[in-house]
Amino acid sequence: MELKKFRKKSPWILHYNSGSCNGCDIEILACLAPKYDIERFGMINTGNPKQSDILLITGPVTKRSRERIVELYAQMPEPKVVVCCGTCSSTGGIFRGMYNIEGGVDQYIPVDVYVAGCASRPEQIIDGVIVAIGILEEKNKDLEKSVKLAVNPVIEGSQVNRREIAGKLK
Amino acid sequence: MNKIIIQLLLIFISPVIGGLIYGIERKVKARMQRRIGPPILQPFYDFLKLADKRAMIVHSTHAFFGIMHFVSLWFALAVLILGGDLILVIFLHLLSTSLLILGGFSTRSIFSHLGANRSAISALAYEPILIIIAVSIYMVTGSFDVSSILNYPTPLLYKMPLAFIALLLILPVKLKKSPFDISEAHQEVVGGAEIEYSGIFYEAIYTAKWLDYVFCYALIYLFAANNIVLSFVLITGSFLYINALDNSTARVNYKQMLRFAFGVAFPIAIINLLMTIL
Repeated sequence: MELKKFRKKSPWILHYNSGSCNGCDIEILACLAPKYDIERFGMINTGNPKQSDILLITGPVTKRSRERIVELYAQMPEPKVVVCCGTCSSTGGIFRGMYNIEGGVDQYIPVDVYVAGCASRPEQIIDGVIVAIGILEEKNKDLEKSVKLAVNPVIEGSQVNRREIAGKLK
Repeated sequence: MNKIIIQLLLIFISPVIGGLIYGIERKVKARMQRRIGPPILQPFYDFLKLADKRAMIVHSTHAFFGIMHFVSLWFALAVLILGGDLILVIFLHLLSTSLLILGGFSTRSIFSHLGANRSAISALAYEPILIIIAVSIYMVTGSFDVSSILNYPTPLLYKMPLAFIALLLILPVKLKKSPFDISEAHQEVVGGAEIEYSGIFYEAIYTAKWLDYVFCYALIYLFAANNIVLSFVLITGSFLYINALDNSTARVNYKQMLRFAFGVAFPIAIINLLMTIL
């Protein structure tokens, strides 16, 4: 029996509001509510970065929240996927260029799935999260795959030539 | 000889039974809210996923406390199933809870501290009542041994119904269900003492939660000793009661919980004890 195919059935979500107008948050809550019920895919809104797989971000990055986003991303164990929910978190949206707004989330952490819409509808959010589960599975396989390096690692001082190694990987 | 093989088998598959109980519970809870709900095997999917996550560790003592929480809970359950001393079982369960509390206090996370604090308060609320129930069981049957309690001719429910009511009142505290889920409280302290565990170390805590279900329903089974129909009715009834209560009530704060435990459940248990003595 192949046990590994079951692991994509329980993606746990961490929802973070990085300065949103609350529109997308309400839609995410609607996903959890009886009508859309994303718990049937095994998703739980954990609220704990150390136990979650998918980081769901709503809203543009404000100056206050950018360190929190990076911190939350760093606290999540691998494999992890980031989903930007709504136009604001994808690009900055209507708030782009304001004095307290830094722009989209992808300026600070790598984003895998962009969900458009202001506010994005629950169907779109579910669709985005389902795509994210596929990416999570791919990342899981990548973690298990062994890679042969094209360049030998050389340690100079305290640094490894990691940029050179990463450049020759793909 | 045959009996001990069944008991050992029961001990080894008790996490699986607990996982199934948890899966059914999530399904029942979803149905009560008119949702579809996750599949019944969902806890095992979670288990497999957590095994594949990369392990992050705060420090070794913290992880050790988490694993020992699971091991000591399993040990308490083993003593209960093998027919050991009921008081010993209750204190082993308290030991496992206190290991989790120590684990919560061993990190510097403020949520972990709050959750550990609240876990200690919950233990303060339910532990005296459990011990009084055990003492009144001794008064009726003349023994603390689970094996001789199970061999008692009439079910304990008829002898001491008030003790069963007291047990039902504190079960939500013990299982961390609303309205007394202050120690877990996902919206307030994000899981409490278990917040800093991740990956394979969280798995121990997660499986310990399943064992807790088996432990509580085994305590209920004591009240319907050797009567299969009655035990089925009691376990199913209390299962539905706990889930209905969980779905229909809001969380109280710790003062209200303590006031309820010592103002309502504790006097009921004491009256029951006095009735069994007289």
